[in-house]
Amino acid sequence: MVDAELADWLEEGYVPSFRTACLILGNRADAEDAVQEAFLRAWRFRDSLTSVPSIRPWLYRVVVNSCYSKLRQEIPHRDRRAVDGPLAHLPAEEPGPETSAERGAVADTVLAALGRLPLSLRVPVVLRYYADLSERDIAHAIGRRQGTVKSRLHEARRRLAADPELHALALAGGDAETPAEEAGS
Amino acid sequence: MTMLDDDRLSALLGQAAEAFEVPAAGPDEIRARARGDGAGGDGADEAPATESGEDEEPVAFRAPGRGRRLVATANRHRILSVAAGLVVALLVAGTIGAVVRARPTPTVTAGLKAPNVAGSGGRALLPVTSTTSPLHAPAATGAPGPLGFEAQGTSGSAGGSTAAGAAPNSPSLPKDSVGQSTKIEQTGTLGLAVARGDLARTMTRLTSLAGAYGGFVASSASQGGSGGAAPYGTITLEVPVDNFSTVLKQAEQYGKTSNVSTKATDVTGQYVDLQARLAALEASRQQYLTILAKATSIGDILSVQEQLDNIQSQIEQLQGQLQVLTSETSYSTLNLTVSERGAPPRPSPLPESGLVQSWHDSVGGFVAGIDGVIRLAGPFLFALLCLAIVAVGGRLLWRRYQRHRL
Repeated sequence: MVDAELADWLEEGYVPSFRTACLILGNRADAEDAVQEAFLRAWRFRDSLTSVPSIRPWLYRVVVNSCYSKLRQEIPHRDRRAVDGPLAHLPAEEPGPETSAERGAVADTVLAALGRLPLSLRVPVVLRYYADLSERDIAHAIGRRQGTVKSRLHEARRRLAADPELHALALAGGDAETPAEEAGS
Repeated sequence: MTMLDDDRLSALLGQAAEAFEVPAAGPDEIRARARGDGAGGDGADEAPATESGEDEEPVAFRAPGRGRRLVATANRHRILSVAAGLVVALLVAGTIGAVVRARPTPTVTAGLKAPNVAGSGGRALLPVTSTTSPLHAPAATGAPGPLGFEAQGTSGSAGGSTAAGAAPNSPSLPKDSVGQSTKIEQTGTLGLAVARGDLARTMTRLTSLAGAYGGFVASSASQGGSGGAAPYGTITLEVPVDNFSTVLKQAEQYGKTSNVSTKATDVTGQYVDLQARLAALEASRQQYLTILAKATSIGDILSVQEQLDNIQSQIEQLQGQLQVLTSETSYSTLNLTVSERGAPPRPSPLPESGLVQSWHDSVGGFVAGIDGVIRLAGPFLFALLCLAIVAVGGRLLWRRYQRHRL
C-alpha cells in the first residue's frame, strides 16, 4: 500500500523534480540529494496533504525548500564547480555525437545564464518555464504573493534577454523545440 | 524580448534540463529509505516500516525528538545558537551574581526596629561614624605590681574578670551584659530635589520634622546659587531609632527623591565587650582600694595609688565609649541633601574664544563622547541581547510553522 503510493509519487514527480533541482542548483549530485531529501520530507508530512489543494505545487515547494537548504547550508562550504561542473551532466538519451555536443553547449549556456540570476529570480523562472507551474502555484511553492512572482518573472526575463550568451544562443538556435513540441513528436 | 520569448525560454530550459541524466537508482533509494531499510538511511528520522497488513497504517517515519530537532536547528544556525548561548550564560551569571551578592550584605532596609534604649538621654553631638575606638587592654589588671604580694593578689581576680566578660561568676558584670538586647546603629542618606525657590522652606520643614519626632538637627548648611550654580543644602538629623523610618518616609514626601539608602549595623557585641571591660576594671579598682587600706608604708601607698589612677583613667575612657555607643544606638542619623530642580546652568568663567578655550572644549567633547559611548553601550548591548533572543525565538517558531505547513 505504502510502496504503491510512494511509487506513484516517484513515477509522476521524480524526473521533473530532479531536473528542476538541477536547474536551480546547477549540479547533478546536489540535485539528487536535494530531491531525495525532498521526497522523504514530503513523505514524512504526507498527512498534511489533506489541507493543500493540489499535490504538485506542494511537492515543488518541498523540492524548492530542499534546494534552498542545500544552497544555504552545504554548498557554501565547498567549491561546487570543483566537484561537479557543467560537464557533469550527461544526456539521458543516446543521441549522435554532434547532437550531444550541441545539447551540452546549450545546456552550459543556459545553466550559466541561470547561474547569473539571483536565486530569488532563478527559482520562479525554472518553475514557470521548465516545470510549467502557473504563477499562482509558483507563489504557493515559494511562499510569496502572486504579484511578487509576477514581478520576479518579469525581471528574470528581462535579465535573461539581456544576457549576451543566451541572446546569441537564441539567435543561432532555430531548431530548439519546446517541451510541448517534444511531447508531440 | 524579441528573440527570447516564453516558448523559446521554455525550450531552452527543457533542453538544459534534459542534459542532466536522471539517476536510475534515485527512486529506489528513496523507497528504501522510506521503508527504513535503505543503505543510506541515517536512521534518525526513520523507523522500521510496519507493513503487517493493508488496513494498518504504516509509520515510515517517526517525528524526531524535540532534543534532536533542537540540536539540528542549532547546527543549522550556528551564529544564532552562539548568541543564544551567550544570552543564557549572561542570564545565569547575572542570576548567580545577584544571589551571591544578596546573601551576605550587612545592609538592612529602612524601617528596621531598633530596641528602645533606656536611659539614653542627653545625647552628645558626636561623630556618628562607626569607627571603633582602640580599646586599651587593662594593663593593670594582669600586670604585676611593684609589690610582690599585691601582684599575686590582684592577678587572680583581675585575670578572671578580664577573661571575660564571659565568666559566669565574674564578680561585677552588669546585669544586662548577658542576654543583652540587640544594639543597632542605624544611618541613612536621602537626596531630595525640590522646586526652584523651595530650598529654604524645605530645610525649615525638615528641622521641624526632626523636632516633631523627638530628634534634633545635628548640622545644617546651605549654599545659594552663586554664579548660576544650583542652590543646595545639607542637613543632618538625629532622630530616635523608633522614629527613623517614619521620619524618612515623611522627608521623602518633601520633594522628588533622587537617592535613598539606609544602613543598620549591629553593635551588640561591641557594647557587651565594653561593659565587660568596664566591670573588670571596676573589680580591679575595688581590689586596689582594699590593698590601699591595708598598706602601711608610704612607698606601698604610692605604688597602689599609681595603679588606681591608671585604672580610673581606663574606666573613664571605656565609660565614654559606652556612652557614645549608647547614644548612637538610641538615635539614628539621617543625612539629607536638598537641591533645587531646574536651576540654570552655571555659566563658563572662561572666555568663549581663544586656544585655551578651544582646547578645553575639545577635551570636554572627547570626554563627553567617551562618556556617551559608555552610557549607550549598556542599553545597546541589552537591546542587542533582547533582539537576539527575539530573533532566535522567532526563527525557531517560523521554522516550526513552516515545517507544519509542509
